Amino acid sequence: MPREVEPSLNEKQFFAKALQENIRLDGRALDQFRALELDFGDEYGVADVKLGKTRVHTHITAEVTTPFPDRPFDGIFTITTELSPMTSPSIELNRPSETETLLSRLLEKTIRRSGALDTESLCLIGGSKCWSIRADVHVLSHDGNLVDASSIAVIAALQHFRKPDTSTEGEQVTVYTVREREPVPLSLLHFPLCVTFSFYGEGLLGKGGEEEGEAVLVDANLMEEQLREGSVTVGINRHGEVCQIAKLGGLPVDAVALLNCVKVAGVKVKELSKFIAGRLEADAKKRDKGGLMAELRADNDRVS
Amino acid sequence: MPLDTSTYSLALLRLDGRRWNELRRLTAQISTQAAADGSSYLEMGNTKVICTVTGPLEAKSTSGNRSGGDRADVQVSIRIAGFSGVDRKRRGRGDKRTQEMQTTIANAFSQSLFTHLYPHSTITLSLHILSQDGSLLAALLNASTLALIDAGIPMRDYICACTAGSTSSYSSNDEKADPLLDLNNMEEQELPFLTVATLGDTDDVSVLVMETRVQIGRLEGMLAVGVDGCKQVREILDQVVRKRGTKILEGSQL
Repeated sequence: MPREVEPSLNEKQFFAKALQENIRLDGRALDQFRALELDFGDEYGVADVKLGKTRVHTHITAEVTTPFPDRPFDGIFTITTELSPMTSPSIELNRPSETETLLSRLLEKTIRRSGALDTESLCLIGGSKCWSIRADVHVLSHDGNLVDASSIAVIAALQHFRKPDTSTEGEQVTVYTVREREPVPLSLLHFPLCVTFSFYGEGLLGKGGEEEGEAVLVDANLMEEQLREGSVTVGINRHGEVCQIAKLGGLPVDAVALLNCVKVAGVKVKELSKFIAGRLEADAKKRDKGGLMAELRADNDRVS
Repeated sequence: MPLDTSTYSLALLRLDGRRWNELRRLTAQISTQAAADGSSYLEMGNTKVICTVTGPLEAKSTSGNRSGGDRADVQVSIRIAGFSGVDRKRRGRGDKRTQEMQTTIANAFSQSLFTHLYPHSTITLSLHILSQDGSLLAALLNASTLALIDAGIPMRDYICACTAGSTSSYSSNDEKADPLLDLNNMEEQELPFLTVATLGDTDDVSVLVMETRVQIGRLEGMLAVGVDGCKQVREILDQVVRKRGTKILEGSQL
């Protein structure tokens, strides 16, 4: 099993020394995200998120299937994650790594289990037909903080996605093509996003520094992630509902500091939600070329 | 099956007759298996787990070692018995929930143990779940702590865990909602809850896992009750260890 190249001793010491002076190597503030870019594809439900050098591509697809027998009135919503060897040489094909397991679990808990997508609205005929919505998360480049980037990508893509319109008459379901009827958006109940905090303690910063021996960073890049001693991922929506918290071992952190992290996450998520809403609006404007009247016009574009 | 939580506000008693800040019966034994380097058996209410520790012993292959060889690697495997739950469900080893718990326990103990004393070696924790009735991760963490003490591996302090919940659902904004300590399976199905593990007597949280939706204002109360519960758990675990210690001392005098 190949391993990720670890930061050298020099890099480690330089990073620790800088962190003691509250400086990050890329010049960001301790609680600042990297530059976030969000682009949508030509198709509905394709989102491409760039968070610094981390890049995540998400594609939403929908198909009609039979629901699970124990949940006849619910549609199906699955999130699948894929880390390919293209992402990083330490990742092998067809062998789920720890990073991937945790990533898919966190997305699952934040977005699916918190009920972000109303699965009951995906039901077509109880017990026999329902929509199956599938979100494929592809990590194209790994430079730390995959969880936050992926959650942004999935939530943005779900909001962007349009599923074909349907009509039901008795046991007969008609699925209309895009030409026949305008496709409809999914019914989303809330928009949870993840914010990950990285903790650094005595092990890295050394004992008895002038200031407190602990540092908390938001949106760690790959090196900061490799050097961290603990982390907590908070899934929260913009209304201040915490959907999940995951501090899976690592450096013990004071309970008050953790509550503080949750509060900071609440603020960050509001900013991120606003950013996503802005990008969605810009994309909608780009798609809408003068509305229905422009589409119904019979005259051709002339070259003057 | 919706749990009728409306009766709670009448007498402030939970379904099993406990008050909001009461733990379930927590009993434990150390050195239950003679063949293992360390072992323990722990019951938290009706949740029952066995833990055995093997090691520290020489690492089989250094390539799988996450720490690069200068400290011991902690490996955890969890087996869930088929008869442990209400419905007999087979869970493969690839189950992501189990894998997440394994990672959590491994990460928590690789921080609290003095792993730098055992370079190029592996400490293997093998956990068996015999019966599930809520607070599963907490029971696993507590059992692991006891087994590691039995194995004589030096550690900073006990890692003690318990769960805490809240009587309100996420939507209702009632201020009267009480936090609850140590939820059983029925309460876990219905109420928002978190699992918290602290290091010894301090307020330092090593593990914090919450999987349900809850208002941000509710969190502080839940966490406070959880941390307080961990201190109670520490007292109980400490008694178990001390009782075992005196028994060994008495035996050596004979």
